[in-house]
Amino acid sequence: MRDDASSSAAAIWAILRKECRSEWRTRYGISAALLFSVTTLTSVSFAVGRLGDRGDILAALLWIVLLFASLAALSHSFVREVEGHTLTLLRMVASPTSIALGKLLFNLLFLGVLELVTVPLFLVLMGAPPPHWGAFLALLGLGSAALAASSTLVGALIAQTRSRGSLFAAVSLPLLLPVLAAAVAGTRAQWSDGSIAAPARMLAAYALAVLAMSLLLYDHLWEE
Amino acid sequence: MILRATLFLWVAATMVAAFVWAPEVPVLGPTTRVLYFHIPSAWITVLALGWSMVHSALYLRTRDLAHDDHAAASAELGLLFCIAATITGSLWARAMWGSYWNWDPRETSIFFLMLIYGAYLALRGSLDDPVRRARLAAIYSCVAFVAVPFLMFVVPRIYFSLHPDPIINARGKVDMDPRIRWMFLSMLLAFTALFFWMLSLRVRLGRFERKREARAVAHAN
Amino acid sequence: MSAGHAPLAAVERSARGVSIEAKGLAHRYGTRLALEPQTFELSGGIAAVTGPNGSGKSTLLRILAGLLRPSEGQVRMVVDGRERGAAQRRTVVGLATPELSFYEEMSAFENLEFAAEARGLEAPAAAAREALERIGLAGRAMDRMSALSSGMRQRVRLAFASLGAPPILLLDEPGSHLDDEGRATLERWIALVAPSTLVVLATNDEREWRLAGRRIQLRGRDLGHPA
Repeated sequence: MRDDASSSAAAIWAILRKECRSEWRTRYGISAALLFSVTTLTSVSFAVGRLGDRGDILAALLWIVLLFASLAALSHSFVREVEGHTLTLLRMVASPTSIALGKLLFNLLFLGVLELVTVPLFLVLMGAPPPHWGAFLALLGLGSAALAASSTLVGALIAQTRSRGSLFAAVSLPLLLPVLAAAVAGTRAQWSDGSIAAPARMLAAYALAVLAMSLLLYDHLWEE
Repeated sequence: MILRATLFLWVAATMVAAFVWAPEVPVLGPTTRVLYFHIPSAWITVLALGWSMVHSALYLRTRDLAHDDHAAASAELGLLFCIAATITGSLWARAMWGSYWNWDPRETSIFFLMLIYGAYLALRGSLDDPVRRARLAAIYSCVAFVAVPFLMFVVPRIYFSLHPDPIINARGKVDMDPRIRWMFLSMLLAFTALFFWMLSLRVRLGRFERKREARAVAHAN
Repeated sequence: MSAGHAPLAAVERSARGVSIEAKGLAHRYGTRLALEPQTFELSGGIAAVTGPNGSGKSTLLRILAGLLRPSEGQVRMVVDGRERGAAQRRTVVGLATPELSFYEEMSAFENLEFAAEARGLEAPAAAAREALERIGLAGRAMDRMSALSSGMRQRVRLAFASLGAPPILLLDEPGSHLDDEGRATLERWIALVAPSTLVVLATNDEREWRLAGRRIQLRGRDLGHPA
């Protein structure tokens, strides 16, 4: 067998491909998530109407919709493993860290697909002013990375408990609030032509901190 | 026994003195009194969280369930003091500025801490096996540790502050009447002692519960 | 305490510097004792772990595979002269247990190819195909797992264990659900790899433990009712 680093990379890539393939075959997760996103979005739009001049409210609403979408969507990947009893298989072929990174990358991809549909729809339905694309996309990227990092870890924890659904939101929330705060502040700033430097730095720092800490912890997660 | 009596007298004396002996701070008026309960409660909230997180990390390193006892007990007590701090803070805000809740940075921080405690205890509650519970709760505690500095310090910088910093700056110089300072420190010490006493009780209780379960199953076999 | 091991048969020899040593190995789930303290040493050949239901055979295998951290005792696994800690055991162990499940929406071949790729094998598709042929499943390799019978699923588990020809094989009730032909294939495979592999079989089936040169008997006393 190859050495550690390249076999970890192989494992991560294999797991990512496997997740994509499973998702594609069942399509259960992504459809539900998209439906949820679009429903939330249309409810907001219907209730609030067009907000062309309120960049601050628009920023908040956008990230709340994304937050809800990720709470609904990102808990699935580990729950599926537990319910399908495939954890033993996974643990015998890859290290816990590789498993986690593979799932994390998948969650990131998943969020990306969600955002590809939700964000343009949001901008159009809410009558939002055109964003400064560079800053806007940077915030989306960093925020998504932070959301995915936290959600992957919490998902792994929750999958082993008995009351999975409701618990995921409650347990994730404290970890996701800093993301919400910074992302909203940054998005608001770019709509009022301000600088996103501080919020963006915070998002990056937070995403890295959560990722680093969780990588240290994954080895302990599935010890039995 | 003597220590407990001393603690009781200390707390009682401090509480009385808070109303009778210490003067009022100019801006705050009669609401000064809240200082003595609100800030120590908040301090204990943070102390308890730190204690819990340290023991969580120690559990992961040593797998000694005694550390888990401490982590759990500390979290329960921390939540109690957190609720106390939130309520006293909210009442104070109402007296000072007319509204119970404003999402100013300090209020926001204490609320976030309450969320962390709640999430941690909810996670514990959903797990039955003591070893798995200890391990997963400890993992969550360690991740939450990362979130805390962001929630406590960075988020406040993002929002505008209503908190009266110049006078109630317990970390910096305290420009107040020496009697207030004494009262304040006295209460802080009293609360800390109270916390550790309650913690020791709760940890012992947790340990007894575990041993009783073990004995019960051994007898059944 | 472990008791009643048959003497080492003459044909066994140490395979590739492989050995497993256990000292006082025991496990509790909460307060329930699932595995009584075990002390043994294995080096090469075929060993059988037998005992009544609930005596901890599966628990022992999970511990050896590195999936479970034992509550007491130590286990030392050496391959090619190097000690393998719990986290590395999966790279040298082929495991087949009843709890091993595969991804239902993928075929047997895809599952094995995934496993081979994740484990870092050089040519994952070829390794998967070879494993499937060895176990007699080449014809149904492309069907989704959900379409396979329990006997065929068991064969997939055995194929999984054989991926990459690992130096240690841990097989929990390997013959379960297998028809006569499957059983014959299993016995042929075990006989083929035995000279170069340390094989541990957990079983109550006489057809299986009689293949072994060494037997570890778990007593299962005080562990609750044998089912």
